[in-house]
Amino acid sequence: MQKFKLTLVIACLFTGLGMHAQSNKIEFEEFDLDNGLRVILHQDNTTPIVNISVMYHVGSKNETPELTGFAHFFEHLMFEGTKNIGRHEYSNYVENAGGTLNANTSNDRTYYYEILPSNQLELGLWLESERMLHAVVDSIGIATQKRVVIEEKKQRYDNTPYGDILKVTFEGAYKKHPYQWPVIGDPEHIMNAKDQDFVDFYDTYYVPNNACLVVAGDIDKAEAKELVNKYFAEIPKGTKPMLRPTEFEDPQTAEVRDTVYRAVQIPVILHAYHIPALGTDDYYAMDMLNQVLSKGQSSRLHKSLVDKQEKAMMVGSFSMGLEDPGMTLAYVFPNTGVDNAAIEEAMVAEIEKMHNELISEKEFAKIKNQIENTSINGNRKLATIAENLATSYTYFENTNLVNEELDKYLAVTREDIQRVAKKYLNEKNRVAIIYLPKTAEAN
Amino acid sequence: MKKLSILIVLVLSVLVANAQLDRSKAPKAGPAKKLELGEFTKFELKNGLKVIVVENHKLPVVSYSLSLDIDPIFEGDKVGYTSFAGDLMRTGTTNKTKDQIDEEIDFIGASLSTSSKGIYASSLKKHSPKLLDLMTDVLYNPSFPQEELDKILKQSLTGIKSEKDDPKSISRNIRQALMFGKESAYGEMATEEAYEKITIEDCKNYYETYYRPNVAYLVIVGDITPKQAKKTAKKYFSQWESKEVPTHQFTKPAGFDGPIYAIGHKDAANQSYITVSYPLDLKPGTPDALKASVMNKILGGGGFSARLLKNLREDKAWTYGAYSRINTDEHMGSFMAYSNVRGTITDSAFVEVYKEMQTIISEDVNEDDLQLVKNSLAGSFGRALEDPSTIARFAVNIDKYGLPADYYETYPERLEAITIADVKASAEKYIQPENALYLAVGDINVIEPLMQKIAHGKEVTEYDFYAEKVVRTGVPAGLTAEKVIETYVDAMGGAEKLKSVEDLSMKATLKIQGMELALNTYQQAPNKIKVETLMAGNVLSKQVYNGEVGIMVAQGQEQKLEGEMLETMKYQAILFPELQYQELGYTLELVGKDKIDGKNAYKMTITDPLGKASTVYFDVASGLKIKQVATSPMGNSTTIYAKYKETEGIKFPSVMSQTMGPQMVDIEVTSIELNKGLEESVFNN
Repeated sequence: MQKFKLTLVIACLFTGLGMHAQSNKIEFEEFDLDNGLRVILHQDNTTPIVNISVMYHVGSKNETPELTGFAHFFEHLMFEGTKNIGRHEYSNYVENAGGTLNANTSNDRTYYYEILPSNQLELGLWLESERMLHAVVDSIGIATQKRVVIEEKKQRYDNTPYGDILKVTFEGAYKKHPYQWPVIGDPEHIMNAKDQDFVDFYDTYYVPNNACLVVAGDIDKAEAKELVNKYFAEIPKGTKPMLRPTEFEDPQTAEVRDTVYRAVQIPVILHAYHIPALGTDDYYAMDMLNQVLSKGQSSRLHKSLVDKQEKAMMVGSFSMGLEDPGMTLAYVFPNTGVDNAAIEEAMVAEIEKMHNELISEKEFAKIKNQIENTSINGNRKLATIAENLATSYTYFENTNLVNEELDKYLAVTREDIQRVAKKYLNEKNRVAIIYLPKTAEAN
Repeated sequence: MKKLSILIVLVLSVLVANAQLDRSKAPKAGPAKKLELGEFTKFELKNGLKVIVVENHKLPVVSYSLSLDIDPIFEGDKVGYTSFAGDLMRTGTTNKTKDQIDEEIDFIGASLSTSSKGIYASSLKKHSPKLLDLMTDVLYNPSFPQEELDKILKQSLTGIKSEKDDPKSISRNIRQALMFGKESAYGEMATEEAYEKITIEDCKNYYETYYRPNVAYLVIVGDITPKQAKKTAKKYFSQWESKEVPTHQFTKPAGFDGPIYAIGHKDAANQSYITVSYPLDLKPGTPDALKASVMNKILGGGGFSARLLKNLREDKAWTYGAYSRINTDEHMGSFMAYSNVRGTITDSAFVEVYKEMQTIISEDVNEDDLQLVKNSLAGSFGRALEDPSTIARFAVNIDKYGLPADYYETYPERLEAITIADVKASAEKYIQPENALYLAVGDINVIEPLMQKIAHGKEVTEYDFYAEKVVRTGVPAGLTAEKVIETYVDAMGGAEKLKSVEDLSMKATLKIQGMELALNTYQQAPNKIKVETLMAGNVLSKQVYNGEVGIMVAQGQEQKLEGEMLETMKYQAILFPELQYQELGYTLELVGKDKIDGKNAYKMTITDPLGKASTVYFDVASGLKIKQVATSPMGNSTTIYAKYKETEGIKFPSVMSQTMGPQMVDIEVTSIELNKGLEESVFNN
């Protein structure tokens, strides 16, 4: 029998959250090719597999407001083929070699990867270098993927309950910065874009000096270096100017509030707050604060709203780890019949407690233990290690951040947590989204 | 000197050319490395608990996973009680409240979860003793607090509500009920009613009866030696009392006899979630299971090269994804192909899925496709070994399903040995497009007519979230009267076309009591009309309205229209009033659905600005008006519109049957002419 729980739905919605601290040191070696490509090697010979991945420093925030959705569109286009790889053959090479591949796009970057048996390292390097050197950006591929992306948008944003909640939140939160549009973009832009627009985007951003290559797993470093050189050194450096956001949000001076009605049965009350960028000291403190609020069943929001007051079916909070100043989100799925205003009051009451009192030594010890556990378990899989290395380089040009992050968390004090609670979690800085069932609209 | 430099340049360029890489061919693989499966240790405690240990020192973490191997239980009118029982175990023991358990687990940064089928606990190695204390307290001493049951009930009721708008949940309920039958453990579903009936006693009984070591596996994975693990298992789990656990007979479903067509409604959906499914008797670990998984991977399993994805996504661009899945199961497995597709091509998508299913049965797969899938499966087998719990899972499966001890070691060889003929045989046996459920969940107003098309006269049944048949007597969800009118206008030829009509001349004949009469109608936009009835060329009667003044001539008597009659004429004179119902002040009400001469029709009440109402029926399939009943104090007058024919891109009925007194008279249209530049004088009185 099937039991009804929302957990999964939400887990799917809010992917890419949490931290990736690490206490077991991750060994790696890195160097740059002449064309500007950063190469990171991580050797681990326990399982005969190898991860080959490229992170391009391009996401939806590099798009212009008139042509949104491009970075994500390329995630589709880049599987269409290259000068030497026919249409639809790209994935065949990988699957034939017993590997797997995929890609994902965020506001800040796009990530492509293959995981192959380790004797197929050269194949993986050939594939990724082909993609970087001369992917085929032509009308057949563009026309097909345009329509596929429209269906993807419908499936993920329109027909999944709560599918557009982040979109609504970010539209409310950002007026200047490109985080205001969703990663998938506006379908109209994609449909109306000319083939040349795509070619220009490719020539601008999918270049070695805007990328980092990670080769991780069962490798011999000397051999890996040689092969990387063989396939990537000849790729010319990009010369076109890249668009990086220059305009940032002014500090919010009053709460932004929006009520939306959608085809769902259960409301969601969401309080989002502006926070600093990933990697800043306050970001780490906010992450710890979120743990106090919602990590584990003893966490404050859960204990109070779900267990004690029985107002909610589920609660959660997390920060969107973004390269530019981002958001932290606290959300509640109320139990049937509970007044939304009462939910908001209860949420705010818990936040106010954080303003007024330091968390106890014991609670602080708990948070630190949780962080230790998360960071050790966070690097269980080779693929995760590879992505963490790529992310640390791409955002901070400090690959070793993977080894420094735990210290950054542990440097946060109880006073810091109280300070950031006051500084960021206040009414002025809030974007409140009241996400209601359509049936409530008439009333 | 000059020559030399040229020479040097040449030499250099040759060097460069030599260094140039041949990118046109994929590089060859290096020598393959042997897969090391990894080891496990297995032993049994005196109480019958089977323990499997996998040692892995990569991270200082140990996990303890307890799982029950029991038959599926039919829960009947209390569906959900086993799941409630599982959840409740973690919500209080005779020693600790839920608050205390939560606090202690979170304090060591650990996780502990319970379900009807087991307990999972994991933490850093240094916290293992504390973790095991908590895990076994929950296992031995759950207190089943009433207030926690109330809480779970409340959350579950809210949860069920949230699923009602999820197309996948609606589909799952309908599918499982139709495949396995609601009277089976696999087909029954949770309802609010069933949840409300669950008591603490039910939960306690479940725990007492089924939570027993003699039906359980304990899997220990991580930074621990087998010796330590044995000590730990004995210390914490040997006092667990064994007791005979009841078994349950699983009634096998009959399967489908022919294709079944079903739909479910999801409000305002712009896609439909389509599935093709049927139950399948295929047990895990059998030779057939491996062959079926290879065959399914070619058809629609996961990879980018699978046929369903290639067809529906890459060729047609109808969807973001299209897949098929074969679930093996000890009792009853299933097949399912599924995709979220653009609503308007629901029927075509089913046709393509059906075709792919047919093709894999009737045609040999090619060697390359087969090899690709074998390689890909072998690769994912290898990748899974990165996670030490994979070995533990293998060990449990070997024991549970009675597989040979070297089942997984020989997996790559058995996989490689699968032939084209094996795949075909497997498809013939396990792919059954003729005996499957074709279920679409989406906006039924869009998908119902499309499903009718592929059902070829077979019934298309609508089911709700609880897999109950829906009989729609009322208005379909989401459909409005305005939409029906819009569809009607489109069906006639579209608003643009209708607006382009300046004048219209229609000639028709009718027979009354053996006399043949001619009926000529002239209309000019926006609101001039003349209707005349002739017999043998002589005008019997006529009505004329020129936009301001109206007259009626009958039996030689001319009468100027006044009052209500004039007002009525004003509206009847309008050419295509459908285009401007709102502006004119008509009110429309969609009252329901009805059958008219065997056709499904939407029923609408249209009230003109004078308050005169008529009931109008629009064909669901064609969108055209097929019947109108005008109500008046003198009795009802009915008109049936049939045999629509096109004139210059606009559809007009060529036969109108009208009640005249006690009988129906057929008015047959002989000609329609548009925009012939009718003279104003036609409408002069």
